[in-house]
Amino acid sequence: MAGPAHPNAMAPAKPGRTRTAPPQMPATWWSHPRIRTYLLFGSTGAVYLLLGLFALRVVWALGSGPEAWNAAIAELESPLYIAFHGLGLASVIFVGVRFFGFFPKAQPSRIGPAKPPPPPVILAMLYLAWIGVTILFVAILAGGLF
Amino acid sequence: MREFLLRVEPVIWLLFGQGLLIGTMLLTGWILIVGIAVPLHLDLVAPEALAFERAHALASNPVGRLVLGALIVLPLWKGAHHLRHLSIDFRGAERDLWLAPILYGIATVASLAGILAVVRL
Amino acid sequence: MSTDSGNGEKKNFVITRFDPDTDEVPKTQEYEIPIQSDWKVLDAINFIKDEIDPTISHRWSCRMAVCGSCGMMVDGEPKLTCKTALSDYGDTVTIEPLANFPVIRDLVVEIEGFMEKFKRVKPWVILAKEQAADGPPKSERGTYVQSPAELAEFKQFSMCINCMLCYSACPVVANEAEFLGPAAIALGHRYNLDSRDHGQDERNEIFRDEGTVFSCSFANECSEVCPKNVDPAAAVNQAKFGAVIDWATGFIVPRGAGNAPEREEE
Repeated sequence: MAGPAHPNAMAPAKPGRTRTAPPQMPATWWSHPRIRTYLLFGSTGAVYLLLGLFALRVVWALGSGPEAWNAAIAELESPLYIAFHGLGLASVIFVGVRFFGFFPKAQPSRIGPAKPPPPPVILAMLYLAWIGVTILFVAILAGGLF
Repeated sequence: MREFLLRVEPVIWLLFGQGLLIGTMLLTGWILIVGIAVPLHLDLVAPEALAFERAHALASNPVGRLVLGALIVLPLWKGAHHLRHLSIDFRGAERDLWLAPILYGIATVASLAGILAVVRL
Repeated sequence: MSTDSGNGEKKNFVITRFDPDTDEVPKTQEYEIPIQSDWKVLDAINFIKDEIDPTISHRWSCRMAVCGSCGMMVDGEPKLTCKTALSDYGDTVTIEPLANFPVIRDLVVEIEGFMEKFKRVKPWVILAKEQAADGPPKSERGTYVQSPAELAEFKQFSMCINCMLCYSACPVVANEAEFLGPAAIALGHRYNLDSRDHGQDERNEIFRDEGTVFSCSFANECSEVCPKNVDPAAAVNQAKFGAVIDWATGFIVPRGAGNAPEREEE
């Protein structure tokens, strides 16, 4: 086994009549490919947290005037920032693909009289929205629109 | 603390879910331009596209403020919530009692700062 | 059973043993036995018990993956041993009791904790307050008439055989003792979706209380290991949505106004 689970995992309210051996986690828990993907998914939380904080920094600079803004833009040119944002891009794509895959089955079967569209339709709508929002945002930020 | 965390859980889950959904969608374009194309001076970006005047005009538009606000706040909650669960997955039930308040505390403070940041534009 | 495997094939089985009267901690014991090519893992364990070591203890019953008794860890993954082909495994097969459960003896785990979580979600049809006096609605076609469409709403989540493989697969069960767990939440959700039931308010409150559905981190392992395609991960995450709606509307509509009084605990 891969190691002890929580000592009270699945424990009954009152102990049984004989001494039990403590609960163990599955043997291949840490090395299983599906589990590794799941743990990777959770660890993108660190990337998202930093992305939010860096976005805060940039927007704050924008509100502080031209010098602060230009300084912030210049700071973003550091290799560390660029490498982080490369990781950030990989993270959001990984998260999007995994999350969108789960999204349809997490929808309630109905809200009042309304039923959700079939899963392939939900998936298509999600990806279209993702691509559409991205293209729109890129066009605006890159100077092509407005 | 456990009682408090149970009570706020629905709100956090909603913010986390939107961080996954809206946050991911917004972040993709943001990272592509602000994080990569502009710093690398790629041809994709028009010169002066993010010069101060234009950037400020776009951002201080009501829609701009909303989008930037979402871009800051939602990923924070996705991040904090996922890190909390990651910690629990590593035998973290006890640790959760002090780690969850720290993570959600960071997200709260940064969210307030984010709202302030878009208001003061 | 016949022990003639034709080609003399053997496999090595590393099985967890634990006798609370004599062992401090569980240990493993190895058995090399002749096997037949069409055997399931359960056939091998039964052969060991019948022919080699009668002291080994394990649960099994129907041999056809409907009773849910024979769940064990085979090479580190939760499986129904009556349904798991030996031919899928190499020369050495490791068999352990279900993960995340206290172990009573050898391959037999304590399931009382599971039964307690089950009961907490009130897995029965709950009447509305208006029905408390006269009972459920009757028509000339009978009581509790339900259309195929209404059945289809919850049928998938009713297929659970209580085998507990999902509890062994779930990282939250492993780390949070209070968590209700996949099967219990799926069963509660099954009743929330049942057109005859009016207990959503009560169950959603339970879903947000100690053992909360929000502890689920959507690892999806429960659905991966479920032998009956119940998809408990779908149920739990739909239940989160339901619990949030219930929580939000709780600010508008007062609690506890709609249901029949609790029946007495036995």
